[in-house]
Amino acid sequence: MEPSREGVPLVEQLVNPFLLYGAIALGGIGVCVALPRRGVSPQAIGALLAAIAGAAVLIGLGLGAPEALPNIHFYIFSAIALGSALRVISHPRPVYAALYFVLVVLSSAGLYLLLSAEFMAFALIIIYAGAILITYLFVIMLATQSPTEDRLDMLADYDRAAREPVVATGAAFVLLAVLTTLLFSGIGQLPEPRDAMAREGLMAELPRRVESSLRGDDLLNRGDELVYRADEPWALELDAVERTVLVRRATGEVEAVGLPDDLRLRNVESLAFNFLNEHPATIEIAGVILLMAMLGATVLSRRQVELDEDLKAAQASKLRLGPGGGGAAQPVPKAPERGDAASTQRGLPGGRFSSGGRDAPGGGQA
Amino acid sequence: MQDVLTLAQAGGTPPMAGVTLAHYLFVSAAMFALGLVGFLVRRNLIVMFLCTELMFQASGIALIAFARYHMEMSGQTFVIFVLTVAAAEAALALALVVLLFRRRDSLSTEAWQEMRG
Repeated sequence: MEPSREGVPLVEQLVNPFLLYGAIALGGIGVCVALPRRGVSPQAIGALLAAIAGAAVLIGLGLGAPEALPNIHFYIFSAIALGSALRVISHPRPVYAALYFVLVVLSSAGLYLLLSAEFMAFALIIIYAGAILITYLFVIMLATQSPTEDRLDMLADYDRAAREPVVATGAAFVLLAVLTTLLFSGIGQLPEPRDAMAREGLMAELPRRVESSLRGDDLLNRGDELVYRADEPWALELDAVERTVLVRRATGEVEAVGLPDDLRLRNVESLAFNFLNEHPATIEIAGVILLMAMLGATVLSRRQVELDEDLKAAQASKLRLGPGGGGAAQPVPKAPERGDAASTQRGLPGGRFSSGGRDAPGGGQA
Repeated sequence: MQDVLTLAQAGGTPPMAGVTLAHYLFVSAAMFALGLVGFLVRRNLIVMFLCTELMFQASGIALIAFARYHMEMSGQTFVIFVLTVAAAEAALALALVVLLFRRRDSLSTEAWQEMRG
Protein backbone atom coordinates (compact mmCIF):
# COMPACT_ATOMS: atom_id res chain seq x y z
CA MET A 1 0.00 0.00 0.00
CA GLU A 2 1.19 3.41 -0.87
CA PRO A 3 2.07 5.53 2.16
CA SER A 4 -0.66 8.07 2.69
CA ARG A 5 0.40 11.68 2.42
CA GLU A 6 -1.18 13.99 4.93
CA GLY A 7 -3.40 16.76 3.64
CA VAL A 8 -3.70 15.38 0.13
CA PRO A 9 -7.13 14.18 -1.00
CA LEU A 10 -7.22 10.47 -1.44
CA VAL A 11 -7.75 10.51 -5.20
CA GLU A 12 -4.60 12.53 -5.71
CA GLN A 13 -2.48 9.95 -3.98
CA LEU A 14 -3.04 7.60 -6.87
CA VAL A 15 -3.23 9.85 -9.90
CA ASN A 16 -3.27 13.53 -10.70
CA PRO A 17 -6.97 14.44 -10.99
CA PHE A 18 -6.27 16.93 -13.77
CA LEU A 19 -4.68 14.14 -15.80
CA LEU A 20 -7.48 11.74 -14.89
CA TYR A 21 -10.39 13.93 -15.88
CA GLY A 22 -8.58 15.32 -18.93
CA ALA A 23 -7.83 11.83 -20.14
CA ILE A 24 -11.40 10.67 -19.54
CA ALA A 25 -12.71 13.67 -21.49
CA LEU A 26 -10.28 12.92 -24.33
CA GLY A 27 -11.40 9.31 -24.32
CA GLY A 28 -15.01 10.43 -24.47
CA ILE A 29 -14.27 12.58 -27.51
CA GLY A 30 -12.47 9.64 -29.09
CA VAL A 31 -15.38 7.28 -28.49
CA CYS A 32 -17.79 9.88 -29.83
CA VAL A 33 -15.74 10.27 -33.01
CA ALA A 34 -15.42 6.52 -33.46
CA LEU A 35 -19.15 5.82 -33.31
CA PRO A 36 -20.81 4.99 -36.62
CA ARG A 37 -22.58 7.80 -38.43
CA ARG A 38 -23.84 8.47 -41.92
CA GLY A 39 -21.20 9.43 -44.42
CA VAL A 40 -17.60 9.34 -43.27
CA SER A 41 -16.88 8.12 -39.79
CA PRO A 42 -13.23 8.63 -38.85
CA GLN A 43 -13.01 5.56 -36.68
CA ALA A 44 -9.23 5.29 -36.69
CA ILE A 45 -8.86 8.82 -35.33
CA GLY A 46 -11.43 8.18 -32.61
CA ALA A 47 -9.83 4.91 -31.60
CA LEU A 48 -6.42 6.61 -31.50
CA LEU A 49 -7.74 9.36 -29.22
CA ALA A 50 -9.40 6.83 -26.91
CA ALA A 51 -6.24 4.71 -26.81
CA ILE A 52 -4.12 7.74 -25.92
CA ALA A 53 -6.57 8.60 -23.14
CA GLY A 54 -6.58 5.11 -21.67
CA ALA A 55 -2.80 4.88 -21.84
CA ALA A 56 -2.49 8.28 -20.15
CA VAL A 57 -4.56 7.16 -17.15
CA LEU A 58 -2.66 3.89 -16.80
CA ILE A 59 0.73 5.60 -17.11
CA GLY A 60 -0.40 8.23 -14.62
CA LEU A 61 -1.37 5.48 -12.21
CA GLY A 62 1.94 3.75 -12.79
CA LEU A 63 4.00 6.88 -12.18
CA GLY A 64 2.33 7.28 -8.79
CA ALA A 65 3.92 4.08 -7.55
CA PRO A 66 6.57 2.70 -9.90
CA GLU A 67 7.40 -0.13 -7.53
CA ALA A 68 3.91 -1.67 -7.59
CA LEU A 69 3.25 -1.93 -11.33
CA PRO A 70 1.17 -4.82 -12.61
CA ASN A 71 3.07 -7.05 -14.98
CA ILE A 72 3.29 -6.55 -18.73
CA HIS A 73 0.51 -9.02 -19.49
CA PHE A 74 -1.96 -6.78 -17.73
CA TYR A 75 -1.27 -4.02 -20.26
CA ILE A 76 -1.56 -6.38 -23.21
CA PHE A 77 -4.83 -7.95 -22.07
CA SER A 78 -6.45 -4.69 -21.04
CA ALA A 79 -5.47 -3.02 -24.32
CA ILE A 80 -7.08 -5.86 -26.25
CA ALA A 81 -10.14 -5.83 -23.98
CA LEU A 82 -10.78 -2.09 -24.18
CA GLY A 83 -9.93 -1.88 -27.88
CA SER A 84 -12.33 -4.62 -28.82
CA ALA A 85 -14.96 -3.23 -26.44
CA LEU A 86 -14.75 0.00 -28.44
CA ARG A 87 -15.13 -2.05 -31.61
CA VAL A 88 -18.19 -3.83 -30.18
CA ILE A 89 -20.03 -0.57 -29.75
CA SER A 90 -18.75 1.09 -32.93
CA HIS A 91 -18.84 -1.66 -35.54
CA PRO A 92 -21.82 -1.20 -37.86
CA ARG A 93 -22.24 -4.92 -38.51
CA PRO A 94 -23.81 -6.85 -35.60
CA VAL A 95 -22.01 -10.09 -36.46
CA TYR A 96 -18.63 -8.38 -36.20
CA ALA A 97 -19.69 -6.72 -32.95
CA ALA A 98 -20.46 -10.16 -31.50
CA LEU A 99 -17.13 -11.53 -32.70
CA TYR A 100 -15.29 -8.60 -31.13
CA PHE A 101 -17.18 -9.35 -27.94
CA VAL A 102 -15.65 -12.84 -28.02
CA LEU A 103 -12.28 -11.09 -28.05
CA VAL A 104 -13.34 -9.04 -25.02
CA VAL A 105 -14.27 -12.25 -23.22
CA LEU A 106 -10.98 -13.94 -24.08
CA SER A 107 -8.87 -11.04 -22.86
CA SER A 108 -10.97 -10.73 -19.70
CA ALA A 109 -10.22 -14.40 -19.11
CA GLY A 110 -6.54 -13.43 -19.42
CA LEU A 111 -7.03 -10.76 -16.76
CA TYR A 112 -8.76 -13.32 -14.53
CA LEU A 113 -5.71 -15.58 -14.92
CA LEU A 114 -3.44 -12.76 -13.83
CA LEU A 115 -5.69 -12.29 -10.82
CA SER A 116 -5.19 -16.00 -9.98
CA ALA A 117 -8.78 -16.97 -10.71
CA GLU A 118 -8.01 -19.89 -12.98
CA PHE A 119 -11.30 -21.71 -12.65
CA MET A 120 -13.35 -18.61 -13.40
CA ALA A 121 -11.14 -17.77 -16.39
CA PHE A 122 -11.87 -21.06 -18.10
CA ALA A 123 -15.50 -21.11 -17.01
CA LEU A 124 -15.81 -17.68 -18.58
CA ILE A 125 -14.41 -18.89 -21.89
CA ILE A 126 -16.59 -22.00 -21.90
CA ILE A 127 -19.84 -20.34 -20.84
CA TYR A 128 -19.52 -16.91 -22.41
CA ALA A 129 -17.53 -17.41 -25.57
CA GLY A 130 -18.73 -20.96 -26.03
CA ALA A 131 -22.42 -20.77 -25.24
CA ILE A 132 -23.87 -17.30 -24.78
CA LEU A 133 -22.07 -15.63 -27.66
CA ILE A 134 -22.87 -18.48 -30.02
CA THR A 135 -26.54 -18.00 -29.17
CA TYR A 136 -26.18 -14.32 -29.95
CA LEU A 137 -24.50 -15.05 -33.27
CA PHE A 138 -27.23 -17.54 -34.08
CA VAL A 139 -29.98 -14.99 -33.50
CA ILE A 140 -28.10 -12.26 -35.37
CA MET A 141 -27.72 -14.49 -38.37
CA LEU A 142 -31.39 -15.48 -38.18
CA ALA A 143 -32.59 -11.92 -37.95
CA THR A 144 -30.42 -9.95 -40.33
CA GLN A 145 -29.82 -10.35 -44.00
CA SER A 146 -26.11 -9.73 -44.27
CA PRO A 147 -24.97 -8.35 -47.58
CA THR A 148 -22.11 -10.35 -48.91
CA GLU A 149 -20.23 -7.55 -50.55
CA ASP A 150 -18.24 -5.12 -48.49
CA ARG A 151 -20.59 -2.18 -48.73
CA LEU A 152 -21.93 -0.31 -45.74
CA ASP A 153 -24.88 1.17 -47.59
CA MET A 154 -26.36 -2.30 -47.89
CA LEU A 155 -26.74 -2.41 -44.11
CA ALA A 156 -29.98 -1.61 -42.37
CA ASP A 157 -30.32 2.04 -41.51
CA TYR A 158 -30.47 1.42 -37.77
CA ASP A 159 -27.01 -0.14 -37.85
CA ARG A 160 -25.36 2.58 -39.86
CA ALA A 161 -25.86 5.59 -37.62
CA ALA A 162 -25.58 6.06 -33.89
CA ARG A 163 -28.35 7.68 -31.92
CA GLU A 164 -27.35 10.81 -29.94
CA PRO A 165 -23.62 10.02 -29.69
CA VAL A 166 -22.68 13.29 -28.00
CA VAL A 167 -25.25 13.06 -25.21
CA ALA A 168 -24.47 9.39 -24.58
CA THR A 169 -20.72 9.90 -24.34
CA GLY A 170 -21.35 12.91 -22.09
CA ALA A 171 -23.36 10.72 -19.74
CA ALA A 172 -20.66 8.07 -19.83
CA PHE A 173 -18.00 10.72 -19.12
CA VAL A 174 -19.82 11.79 -15.96
CA LEU A 175 -20.31 8.15 -14.93
CA LEU A 176 -16.66 7.24 -15.49
CA ALA A 177 -15.37 10.34 -13.71
CA VAL A 178 -17.54 9.66 -10.65
CA LEU A 179 -16.71 5.95 -10.68
CA THR A 180 -12.96 6.44 -10.86
CA THR A 181 -13.03 9.16 -8.22
CA LEU A 182 -14.98 6.98 -5.82
CA LEU A 183 -13.00 3.82 -6.55
CA PHE A 184 -9.61 5.50 -6.29
CA SER A 185 -10.48 7.32 -3.09
CA GLY A 186 -11.99 4.13 -1.68
CA ILE A 187 -8.74 2.24 -2.31
CA GLY A 188 -7.00 4.49 0.22
CA GLN A 189 -9.36 3.29 2.92
CA LEU A 190 -9.23 -0.43 2.23
CA PRO A 191 -7.68 -2.63 4.91
CA GLU A 192 -4.22 -4.00 4.25
CA PRO A 193 -4.32 -6.97 1.86
CA ARG A 194 -4.24 -10.35 3.55
CA ASP A 195 -1.48 -12.81 3.09
CA ALA A 196 -2.18 -15.82 0.92
CA MET A 197 -1.29 -18.00 3.88
CA ALA A 198 -4.51 -17.02 5.62
CA ARG A 199 -6.63 -19.22 3.43
CA GLU A 200 -4.29 -22.19 3.49
CA GLY A 201 -6.01 -23.23 6.73
CA LEU A 202 -8.63 -24.89 4.55
CA MET A 203 -6.03 -27.57 3.89
CA ALA A 204 -7.00 -29.07 7.26
CA GLU A 205 -10.31 -30.10 5.73
CA LEU A 206 -8.69 -32.06 2.91
CA PRO A 207 -7.26 -35.03 4.84
CA ARG A 208 -7.03 -37.40 1.90
CA ARG A 209 -5.03 -34.98 -0.18
CA VAL A 210 -2.66 -34.23 2.69
CA GLU A 211 -2.22 -37.92 3.38
CA SER A 212 -1.53 -38.93 -0.20
CA SER A 213 0.92 -36.08 -0.60
CA LEU A 214 2.76 -37.08 2.58
CA ARG A 215 2.85 -40.74 1.55
CA GLY A 216 4.08 -39.75 -1.89
CA ASP A 217 7.06 -38.02 -0.27
CA ASP A 218 7.67 -40.95 2.12
CA LEU A 219 6.98 -38.79 5.15
CA LEU A 220 4.44 -41.32 6.44
CA ASN A 221 5.39 -44.92 7.10
CA ARG A 222 3.13 -47.94 7.28
CA GLY A 223 0.88 -47.72 10.33
CA ASP A 224 1.28 -43.96 10.80
CA GLU A 225 -1.88 -41.90 10.73
CA LEU A 226 -2.88 -38.26 10.78
CA VAL A 227 -4.34 -36.72 13.91
CA TYR A 228 -7.83 -35.25 13.65
CA ARG A 229 -9.15 -32.45 15.81
CA ALA A 230 -11.16 -33.40 18.86
CA ASP A 231 -13.92 -30.83 18.29
CA GLU A 232 -14.05 -31.06 14.47
CA PRO A 233 -13.45 -34.73 13.71
CA TRP A 234 -13.33 -34.17 9.94
CA ALA A 235 -10.46 -31.67 10.11
CA LEU A 236 -6.77 -32.32 10.62
CA GLU A 237 -4.55 -30.87 13.31
CA LEU A 238 -2.77 -28.66 10.82
CA ASP A 239 -0.85 -25.45 11.33
CA ALA A 240 -1.20 -23.36 8.16
CA VAL A 241 1.39 -20.77 9.13
CA GLU A 242 4.14 -23.15 10.18
CA ARG A 243 3.01 -25.64 7.50
CA THR A 244 3.07 -28.65 9.79
CA VAL A 245 0.59 -31.41 10.52
CA LEU A 246 0.38 -33.70 13.56
CA VAL A 247 1.07 -37.37 12.86
CA ARG A 248 0.56 -40.34 15.21
CA ARG A 249 3.35 -42.82 14.52
CA ALA A 250 2.85 -46.55 14.63
CA THR A 251 4.80 -46.57 17.88
CA GLY A 252 2.20 -44.31 19.47
CA GLU A 253 4.13 -41.05 19.74
CA VAL A 254 2.69 -37.89 18.16
CA GLU A 255 4.94 -35.51 16.25
CA ALA A 256 4.63 -32.57 13.87
CA VAL A 257 5.62 -33.25 10.28
CA GLY A 258 6.34 -30.47 7.80
CA LEU A 259 4.11 -30.36 4.74
CA PRO A 260 5.74 -30.79 1.31
CA ASP A 261 6.29 -27.54 -0.58
CA ASP A 262 4.15 -28.53 -3.52
CA LEU A 263 1.12 -29.19 -1.33
CA ARG A 264 -0.86 -26.01 -1.77
CA LEU A 265 -4.53 -25.19 -1.88
CA ARG A 266 -5.67 -24.97 -5.48
CA ASN A 267 -7.95 -22.30 -6.83
CA VAL A 268 -10.71 -24.78 -7.58
CA GLU A 269 -10.56 -26.21 -4.07
CA SER A 270 -10.75 -22.89 -2.30
CA LEU A 271 -13.49 -21.69 -4.66
CA ALA A 272 -15.48 -24.85 -4.05
CA PHE A 273 -15.12 -24.49 -0.28
CA ASN A 274 -16.35 -20.93 -0.48
CA PHE A 275 -19.14 -21.76 -2.88
CA LEU A 276 -20.65 -24.70 -1.03
CA ASN A 277 -19.60 -23.92 2.54
CA GLU A 278 -20.24 -20.21 2.89
CA HIS A 279 -22.89 -19.57 0.23
CA PRO A 280 -24.84 -22.85 0.14
CA ALA A 281 -28.04 -21.24 -1.16
CA THR A 282 -26.31 -19.80 -4.24
CA ILE A 283 -26.54 -22.92 -6.31
CA GLU A 284 -30.25 -23.33 -5.52
CA ILE A 285 -31.02 -19.74 -6.47
CA ALA A 286 -28.99 -20.08 -9.66
CA GLY A 287 -30.93 -23.21 -10.51
CA VAL A 288 -34.26 -21.45 -10.01
CA ILE A 289 -33.12 -18.49 -12.14
CA LEU A 290 -32.03 -20.74 -14.97
CA LEU A 291 -35.24 -22.78 -14.80
CA MET A 292 -37.35 -19.62 -14.92
CA ALA A 293 -35.32 -18.32 -17.87
CA MET A 294 -35.84 -21.59 -19.68
CA LEU A 295 -39.58 -21.56 -19.06
CA GLY A 296 -39.84 -17.90 -20.05
CA ALA A 297 -37.90 -18.39 -23.26
CA THR A 298 -40.04 -21.38 -24.19
CA VAL A 299 -43.29 -19.54 -23.52
CA LEU A 300 -42.11 -16.47 -25.42
CA SER A 301 -40.88 -18.27 -28.47
CA ARG A 302 -43.81 -20.63 -29.04
CA ARG A 303 -46.33 -17.81 -29.27
CA GLN A 304 -47.88 -17.41 -32.73
CA VAL A 305 -47.24 -14.03 -34.23
CA GLU A 306 -49.98 -12.00 -35.91
CA LEU A 307 -48.24 -10.14 -38.70
CA ASP A 308 -49.04 -6.60 -39.72
CA GLU A 309 -50.94 -6.14 -42.95
CA ASP A 310 -48.03 -4.40 -44.65
CA LEU A 311 -45.68 -7.13 -43.63
CA LYS A 312 -48.03 -9.81 -44.85
CA ALA A 313 -48.19 -8.10 -48.22
CA ALA A 314 -44.42 -7.78 -48.42
CA GLN A 315 -43.82 -11.40 -47.49
CA ALA A 316 -46.50 -12.64 -49.82
CA SER A 317 -45.00 -10.76 -52.75
CA LYS A 318 -41.57 -12.05 -51.82
CA LEU A 319 -42.85 -15.59 -51.84
CA ARG A 320 -44.74 -15.13 -55.06
CA LEU A 321 -41.64 -14.00 -56.89
CA GLY A 322 -40.18 -17.35 -56.17
CA PRO A 323 -36.77 -18.68 -55.31
CA GLY A 324 -35.14 -17.20 -58.41
CA GLY A 325 -33.42 -14.59 -56.24
CA GLY A 326 -34.92 -11.56 -57.93
CA GLY A 327 -37.34 -11.10 -55.05
CA ALA A 328 -35.61 -8.33 -53.20
CA ALA A 329 -34.46 -6.43 -56.22
CA GLN A 330 -37.58 -5.09 -57.82
CA PRO A 331 -40.03 -2.86 -55.98
CA VAL A 332 -43.43 -4.39 -55.57
CA PRO A 333 -46.54 -2.33 -56.21
CA LYS A 334 -48.19 -2.33 -52.82
CA ALA A 335 -51.86 -1.61 -53.35
CA PRO A 336 -52.91 -4.40 -55.71
CA GLU A 337 -50.78 -6.91 -53.84
CA ARG A 338 -52.29 -6.33 -50.48
CA GLY A 339 -55.80 -7.62 -51.04
CA ASP A 340 -54.43 -10.59 -52.86
CA ALA A 341 -51.95 -11.34 -50.11
CA ALA A 342 -54.58 -11.05 -47.43
CA SER A 343 -56.73 -13.57 -49.18
CA THR A 344 -53.73 -15.82 -49.49
CA GLN A 345 -53.16 -15.37 -45.83
CA ARG A 346 -56.60 -16.49 -44.82
CA GLY A 347 -56.04 -19.89 -46.26
CA LEU A 348 -53.02 -20.68 -44.11
CA PRO A 349 -53.31 -22.10 -40.62
CA GLY A 350 -52.09 -19.94 -37.74
CA GLY A 351 -51.46 -16.85 -39.82
CA ARG A 352 -47.94 -17.90 -40.71
CA PHE A 353 -46.25 -18.39 -43.99
CA SER A 354 -44.54 -21.53 -44.93
CA SER A 355 -42.67 -22.04 -48.15
CA GLY A 356 -45.58 -24.11 -49.36
CA GLY A 357 -47.75 -21.01 -49.09
CA ARG A 358 -46.81 -20.04 -52.58
CA ASP A 359 -49.10 -22.64 -54.04
CA ALA A 360 -51.87 -21.88 -51.63
CA PRO A 361 -54.02 -19.14 -53.22
CA GLY A 362 -56.12 -21.47 -55.26
CA GLY A 363 -56.59 -24.21 -52.73
CA GLY A 364 -56.85 -21.88 -49.76
CA GLN A 365 -60.03 -20.32 -50.96
CA ALA A 366 -61.86 -23.54 -51.49
CA MET B 1 9.45 -15.32 -16.87
CA GLN B 2 8.25 -16.44 -13.49
CA ASP B 3 8.79 -12.93 -12.14
CA VAL B 4 6.75 -11.37 -14.88
CA LEU B 5 3.89 -13.80 -14.94
CA THR B 6 3.02 -14.32 -11.31
CA LEU B 7 0.25 -16.80 -11.65
CA ALA B 8 -0.69 -17.60 -8.11
CA GLN B 9 -1.19 -21.29 -8.75
CA ALA B 10 1.29 -22.21 -6.07
CA GLY B 11 1.00 -20.64 -2.67
CA GLY B 12 3.14 -17.82 -1.42
CA THR B 13 1.20 -15.32 -3.49
CA PRO B 14 2.47 -11.85 -2.68
CA PRO B 15 -0.20 -9.46 -1.42
CA MET B 16 -1.52 -7.15 -4.09
CA ALA B 17 -0.71 -3.47 -3.83
CA GLY B 18 -3.52 -0.94 -3.80
CA VAL B 19 -2.16 0.75 -6.93
CA THR B 20 -2.31 -2.54 -8.84
CA LEU B 21 -5.91 -2.90 -7.76
CA ALA B 22 -6.54 0.61 -9.08
CA HIS B 23 -5.27 -0.44 -12.52
CA TYR B 24 -7.75 -3.30 -12.75
CA LEU B 25 -10.57 -1.15 -11.42
CA PHE B 26 -9.87 1.51 -14.04
CA VAL B 27 -10.04 -1.07 -16.82
CA SER B 28 -13.30 -2.36 -15.37
CA ALA B 29 -14.82 1.11 -15.04
CA ALA B 30 -13.77 2.08 -18.57
CA MET B 31 -15.28 -1.10 -19.99
CA PHE B 32 -18.49 -0.43 -18.08
CA ALA B 33 -18.65 3.10 -19.48
CA LEU B 34 -18.10 1.77 -23.01
CA GLY B 35 -20.97 -0.67 -22.48
CA LEU B 36 -23.17 2.17 -21.29
CA VAL B 37 -22.34 4.29 -24.35
CA GLY B 38 -23.10 1.34 -26.58
CA PHE B 39 -26.41 0.69 -24.90
CA LEU B 40 -27.49 4.30 -25.31
CA VAL B 41 -26.14 4.79 -28.80
CA ARG B 42 -26.88 1.66 -30.78
CA ARG B 43 -30.29 1.22 -32.35
CA ASN B 44 -30.10 -2.49 -33.00
CA LEU B 45 -31.82 -4.52 -30.27
CA ILE B 46 -29.31 -7.37 -30.36
CA VAL B 47 -26.30 -5.04 -30.17
CA MET B 48 -27.94 -3.26 -27.23
CA PHE B 49 -28.14 -6.56 -25.36
CA LEU B 50 -24.56 -7.28 -26.35
CA CYS B 51 -23.61 -4.02 -24.63
CA THR B 52 -25.31 -5.12 -21.41
CA GLU B 53 -23.15 -8.24 -21.59
CA LEU B 54 -20.17 -5.92 -21.87
CA MET B 55 -21.24 -4.27 -18.62
CA PHE B 56 -21.56 -7.70 -16.98
CA GLN B 57 -17.99 -8.44 -18.05
CA ALA B 58 -16.77 -5.19 -16.51
CA SER B 59 -18.42 -5.95 -13.18
CA GLY B 60 -16.89 -9.41 -13.27
CA ILE B 61 -13.38 -7.97 -13.63
CA ALA B 62 -13.96 -5.65 -10.66
CA LEU B 63 -15.27 -8.53 -8.51
CA ILE B 64 -12.31 -10.76 -9.34
CA ALA B 65 -9.85 -7.94 -8.71
CA PHE B 66 -11.31 -7.29 -5.26
CA ALA B 67 -11.33 -11.02 -4.56
CA ARG B 68 -7.63 -11.16 -5.35
CA TYR B 69 -6.87 -8.11 -3.23
CA HIS B 70 -8.65 -9.43 -0.16
CA MET B 71 -7.59 -13.05 -0.77
CA GLU B 72 -11.24 -13.90 -0.35
CA MET B 73 -13.04 -16.32 -2.62
CA SER B 74 -16.50 -14.78 -2.27
CA GLY B 75 -15.78 -12.43 -5.16
CA GLN B 76 -15.23 -15.36 -7.48
CA THR B 77 -18.42 -17.00 -6.22
CA PHE B 78 -20.31 -13.85 -7.15
CA VAL B 79 -18.85 -14.02 -10.65
CA ILE B 80 -20.40 -17.48 -11.01
CA PHE B 81 -23.67 -15.81 -10.14
CA VAL B 82 -23.06 -13.03 -12.68
CA LEU B 83 -22.50 -15.72 -15.32
CA THR B 84 -25.79 -17.37 -14.36
CA VAL B 85 -27.71 -14.13 -14.60
CA ALA B 86 -26.03 -13.31 -17.92
CA ALA B 87 -27.02 -16.67 -19.34
CA ALA B 88 -30.62 -16.28 -18.18
CA GLU B 89 -30.73 -12.75 -19.53
CA ALA B 90 -29.37 -13.85 -22.89
CA ALA B 91 -31.96 -16.61 -23.19
CA LEU B 92 -34.90 -14.36 -22.32
CA ALA B 93 -33.70 -11.33 -24.24
CA LEU B 94 -33.00 -13.28 -27.39
CA ALA B 95 -36.39 -15.02 -27.24
CA LEU B 96 -37.96 -11.59 -26.90
CA VAL B 97 -35.90 -10.19 -29.77
CA VAL B 98 -36.89 -13.05 -32.05
CA LEU B 99 -40.54 -12.47 -31.15
CA LEU B 100 -40.28 -8.75 -31.85
CA PHE B 101 -38.42 -9.37 -35.08
CA ARG B 102 -41.09 -11.74 -36.37
CA ARG B 103 -43.72 -9.12 -35.69
CA ARG B 104 -42.11 -6.09 -37.34
CA ASP B 105 -39.38 -7.60 -39.54
CA SER B 106 -36.90 -5.14 -38.10
CA LEU B 107 -34.44 -5.07 -35.23
CA SER B 108 -34.60 -1.34 -34.84
CA THR B 109 -35.69 0.09 -31.50
CA GLU B 110 -37.57 2.77 -33.38
CA ALA B 111 -39.99 0.15 -34.69
CA TRP B 112 -41.39 -0.03 -31.17
CA GLN B 113 -41.62 3.64 -30.44
CA GLU B 114 -45.27 3.55 -29.47
CA MET B 115 -44.27 1.65 -26.33
CA ARG B 116 -42.71 4.86 -25.04
CA GLY B 117 -44.64 5.72 -21.88
